[in-house]
Amino acid sequence: MRTLKKEYLLHLMLLPGVIVTLIYAYGPMVGLVMAFQQFEPLSGFFHSEFVGFENFQYVFGLPDFKQVMWNTLVISVFKMVLHLLVPLILALLLNEVTRKWFSRFVQSAIFLPFFLSWTVLGGVIIELFSLSGPVNGLLTAFHLEPIMFMLDNDWFRGIIIGSDVWKGMGYNMIVMLAAIAGINANLYEAAEVDGAGKWKQMLHITLPGMAPIVILLAVLSLGGILNAGFEQILIMYNPTVYEGSDIIDTFVYRLGMFSQQFGPAAAVGLFKSVISLVLVSVTYYAAYKYNNYRIF
Amino acid sequence: MKRIKLWKMILLATLSLFVISACSGQGKEPASSQPQTETKEEGGTAAAPPDPLGKYPETVTVTEVMGFNPPEDPRTPKGITPEQNAYLKDLKEMLNIEVKYKWTVPSSQFSQKFSLALASGDLPDILELDGKNFEKLKKQGMLADLTEAYNDYASPTLKKYMESDGGFAMKTYSQDGKQLGIPAFEDPFLSTQLLWIRKDWLDNLKLEPPKTMDELEMVAKAFVQQDPDQNGKNDTYGLVLQKNLFFWGFDARGFFNGFGAYPSMGDGQTAWIQDGSGKLIPGLIQPEVKTALGKLQSWYKEGILDKEFALKDENKAVEDITAGKVGISYGEWWYPNWPLNLNVDKDPNANWIAIQIPGLDGPGKSLVPKIRGDKVYAVNKKMKNPEAAIKMINFYIEMGNKEYLNQNQAEKGYVYNWFSPRIYNPAQIETIYTEVNKALEANQTEITLDDENYKNVADVFKATKDYLAGDTSNASKGVNWGQYFSRAAKDGGWGLTRQIKEKQAFVNHEFYGLPTATQVEKGAQLDKLMQETFTKIIMGSSVDEFDKFVASWKSLGGDEITQEVNDWYSQQAVK
Repeated sequence: MRTLKKEYLLHLMLLPGVIVTLIYAYGPMVGLVMAFQQFEPLSGFFHSEFVGFENFQYVFGLPDFKQVMWNTLVISVFKMVLHLLVPLILALLLNEVTRKWFSRFVQSAIFLPFFLSWTVLGGVIIELFSLSGPVNGLLTAFHLEPIMFMLDNDWFRGIIIGSDVWKGMGYNMIVMLAAIAGINANLYEAAEVDGAGKWKQMLHITLPGMAPIVILLAVLSLGGILNAGFEQILIMYNPTVYEGSDIIDTFVYRLGMFSQQFGPAAAVGLFKSVISLVLVSVTYYAAYKYNNYRIF
Repeated sequence: MKRIKLWKMILLATLSLFVISACSGQGKEPASSQPQTETKEEGGTAAAPPDPLGKYPETVTVTEVMGFNPPEDPRTPKGITPEQNAYLKDLKEMLNIEVKYKWTVPSSQFSQKFSLALASGDLPDILELDGKNFEKLKKQGMLADLTEAYNDYASPTLKKYMESDGGFAMKTYSQDGKQLGIPAFEDPFLSTQLLWIRKDWLDNLKLEPPKTMDELEMVAKAFVQQDPDQNGKNDTYGLVLQKNLFFWGFDARGFFNGFGAYPSMGDGQTAWIQDGSGKLIPGLIQPEVKTALGKLQSWYKEGILDKEFALKDENKAVEDITAGKVGISYGEWWYPNWPLNLNVDKDPNANWIAIQIPGLDGPGKSLVPKIRGDKVYAVNKKMKNPEAAIKMINFYIEMGNKEYLNQNQAEKGYVYNWFSPRIYNPAQIETIYTEVNKALEANQTEITLDDENYKNVADVFKATKDYLAGDTSNASKGVNWGQYFSRAAKDGGWGLTRQIKEKQAFVNHEFYGLPTATQVEKGAQLDKLMQETFTKIIMGSSVDEFDKFVASWKSLGGDEITQEVNDWYSQQAVK
């Protein structure tokens, strides 16, 4: 209480953030009632007819739903795991680079794609992997059969996951490098005195030192398990690869935007949020219990 | 302790306040934004008899929204914005009507943005709608009754246009004797599919224009294998296609028609044809479609189609045509005016001709709708001067007259395709064709016609004269040829279409009602299923997948749609 009195100015400073969150994150939640309505835009939330769980039944009953759900999980789980593993390896490698200019250059190069939008990158990637593109040019140079990457369900999924990891890996890498930088240098000196090599140092100092950050990133990313990358897929996919890459978001997009079925679209949105909430809570609790780690 | 409770109370109070204000804000929004959009002044013409082009004594403001394409004419001033369109300036001067855009977006984002506007209830005064949205708004009682406004204010020309099809289209957009929209319809034969083919390539290979599917296949193969452009490189393919098999261009509608298969009207509209017993059947699931798919599959295997057509959008398809990579495309009458003219400008040897679509034995029959045009202008019920919308239509038609021609030029900032509501003469192309040919035969140097069609006819006549004289001082050869060969040439786009119409070489798409309930609800789902299955079959899946598709299509809502369409047909269709 006394701290509250002392720090009330700080709390006051927090207020704008709280207000913005309330307006933009909590306010729109009112719209969730749409999920239980036969929503007619011009009647609004207050005059649309309530239909209970009919929208949910309708969506879950659609023949595509299982496929879409499966695609979403496969793509996002691969993305999540690789988004931790690849930056982790990169950060560890970069940490060992002694030439400052080289390590800076590589960091920037890896981080750069993060700032490009999928609208641009999508087009570039489609060109890269097209039949007349450089990748197939390379294949033919080695006397291999050209591959239609963008029209093959398995390859396409791979490209979706791979390009997303490539685009985003810089961000987590920087966070992890920061974590490494925060490890007490004395520990390394002590280890060296004890005769530990680089490998042992990494295993016993760097990795445990980074663990909280890695767990934090994992927990945060779990909340997005049903977000498999809407923008990216919408820009890159085509009817031939619907089977392997139509995800919940693209599905809802078609439902809401083209068929204007706002009710069912809202139902799927709510469904996604509930799953995310459960997952975040579970991992958060697990991280606390087994690793004694808390974010808040 | 007490302090913290107070603190919590305050926090809670603010919290709930925000929630409340947030919901009420959402509920109120449509109402609160309305007053600005309403017109400032009532008619003001109460005493005087209604004048189609009468000037309001006080400015009437109408709101619109717009999805805009770039101006079509390359002579339009650079950097002009929709608000600066000279049409709007003239509208203000002539009728004292001021147009305010609530928002403008590139046309590719329009449907999405409009859906959002619809969801939030924030609609403009004048609405440009497709059948689906019209149906939605009608159901919710959002559309104004235009009967009186139309009867009192429509100019004789507008009335003539609307009656040119026997009041067919107008009837579609009325209910219980109330006119709820003014349809922008055109001659349905504008939808006739033709086969566009490079004559210079045929000549290089000493081939005749194909009349049957087999001949077309032979020609297409030759275009792939025998270097039709004689540049010594293996860089050409046969038939251009883009990822949407049924679209508004560079698609496979004409190809299917050649097999007596009528799957779609394009743009996601399934085609409905007569089965001979007075019922309508969906062309999409007939056995002929399977045959045609089988043929496309073999063409794909042989390289007649681009291996990656499923990745191409219409722009990519147009690039191939422009670059001279492909020599055959199915499409409508307007191709010479875009994009074939681009190819002609790039390659002086390029010579495209139009032929009737090849069929199984002899030329085939194209699918033609009963009404062409899915666009309708309606007025928001909240608008105070619905007749202003009718007057604006009158105004646009009026601007085609000879007296405005000197002023009404693209380089002076007149962008016709930005003006809305815009109703054309449904017989516009036919008028241009006959008038230009009449003037050519009489060796006239100028058009003598003097009505609202003047500008359109005069523009084509000039381009034709220039093209035939090889004069490129006004526009490039491609641009002149495009105008001439699409609208005026006897064997060109419209010329050939007329012949096909006379020969009755067409099949009617019979359904012209508004989308049925199940179509609205399940249409996108079924369309996706079709795209996915058909594309896969063409790329090598078993043709028997088609049978599975038919079964799923029926059970996923197709049967209900068939029922609804037939109900409509027996009750409402004018036969």
